[in-house]
Amino acid sequence: MARWRLGGPVLAAALVLAVGQAAACPRPEGWTGGASIAGETWTAWWRSEPAPIPVGAHFSIRFHLCGPPVGRVGVRGWMPDHRHGMNYRPAVTLDGLSGKAEGLMFHMPGRWQLILHVRGAAGRDKLTAETVPE
Amino acid sequence: MLSGIAAPAPALDFTAEEERRILRHGPWPPALLPDPSNRVSGKPAAIAFGRALFFEPRLSTSGAVSCATCHRPDRTWTDGLPRSRGQRIVDRNAPGLFNLGFNRWFGWDGAQDSLWAQNLRPLLDAREMGVGPGGAARLVRSDRRLSCGYRRAFGAAPGADDARIFVDLGKALAAFLETRVTGRAPFDDFRDALARGDAAGRARYPAAAKRGLRLFVGRGNCTFCHFGPAFTNGEFADAGVPHFVEPGRVDPGRHGGIRKLRRSPYTLLGRFNDDARRSTAAKTRHVRLRQSNFGEFRVPGLRNVALTAPYMHAGSHETLADVARHYSTIDEERLHAAGERILRRLDLSARQRADLVAFLETLTEKEPRRQSVEKTGNAVCR
Repeated sequence: MARWRLGGPVLAAALVLAVGQAAACPRPEGWTGGASIAGETWTAWWRSEPAPIPVGAHFSIRFHLCGPPVGRVGVRGWMPDHRHGMNYRPAVTLDGLSGKAEGLMFHMPGRWQLILHVRGAAGRDKLTAETVPE
Repeated sequence: MLSGIAAPAPALDFTAEEERRILRHGPWPPALLPDPSNRVSGKPAAIAFGRALFFEPRLSTSGAVSCATCHRPDRTWTDGLPRSRGQRIVDRNAPGLFNLGFNRWFGWDGAQDSLWAQNLRPLLDAREMGVGPGGAARLVRSDRRLSCGYRRAFGAAPGADDARIFVDLGKALAAFLETRVTGRAPFDDFRDALARGDAAGRARYPAAAKRGLRLFVGRGNCTFCHFGPAFTNGEFADAGVPHFVEPGRVDPGRHGGIRKLRRSPYTLLGRFNDDARRSTAAKTRHVRLRQSNFGEFRVPGLRNVALTAPYMHAGSHETLADVARHYSTIDEERLHAAGERILRRLDLSARQRADLVAFLETLTEKEPRRQSVEKTGNAVCR
């Protein structure tokens, strides 16, 4: 599990540290922002729309996974300091290894985790990014 | 001190993190955009019609209760009662009606996802006004003045579809109510002085309010829920307030609200949304029902809070001092928090509680903003 915040220097560090846990994962073509997170089996690039993530407003994320074929991806948010999740259930659409989750909202300021639960024939994985909505 | 001139407040330096948190409570007022789900949002004729409807007692089955019965303009658009009384006593406190256009959910339980849908609720509830779609439509069709107001607001005479007329009344009321935005408060002057590095402007803010503000954005953790320029994150929380309405009957709060929302024909996912793109309906589409919603109520905005006693969803706290004491001595065992860790007993001293109240009092508008209906004149028919 790797934990990164979005941003230039942090993003660069994320790229370095993420390598080695799962498949190497180049930034998707055409992306100018985003961050990389790695699990045991899969690595993902993700970015929010809008960016940065706002507090108390709906946002969506796009993601691209590197690794074996994927059957299902679940996306959830978690606020570890308060031990609660989101008040909304995002809808995930998947197209091969790429996908989009809509209907997310971080309703409080502070540190949140964005968690991708990935399932496929190769097993299950949990990819966790840390982020602070603005 | 008899001079009437406040002494300059002693310096109280906020940390960079505190300043960042304070600045997020402004600027005020934010831009208010028309509601795309309401085709008459922002239209002067609808605002005038909505204003007339707000004071119309014939929208109650008794002919004696109007919206203004519980939301009195002379009492900051509330009634000062713990639980309001329409045609009968209801379960909850009447909130002051202002800054509604910034809300995401409506009602203490968020059972409505638009201001126009919220306006229909008392018309459907026999304890409040209870006129219902048929009664409301008959009144508008038969009364010359209301029929004329409807035609001016919506561009056509009221038709045969009772439900459509009924919803349109909610939309006209929404057009009126969304104009009610509170004016600037002393806190806003301080916040803006902070933003522009104006030391003299900062110094004019009372010392007790500064100390209370520090508690609000710091140790009190108030800003997690009372976030942003309106001092609410627009969501729901269990504040540790008893939610027994009477012995043996509880108010389920948000849990019941989501269940009502899903059964309602008057939501942003239904046929009465004027926005074909459903651009504001993401909340309704994605809202999640959880057991922890039980006993949660909407986080109220805090602007003008000093004028809207009593407090909490059933008016259980008479004064702001009582509210400060509540959070200071909160019984964590009473929270239906399902493992959540947000509210903690604060153990504030008497002076700290007074400081918190001093801060909250600086959220009172200095002068009420002129409302657009006043600017446009009374365009309703006579």
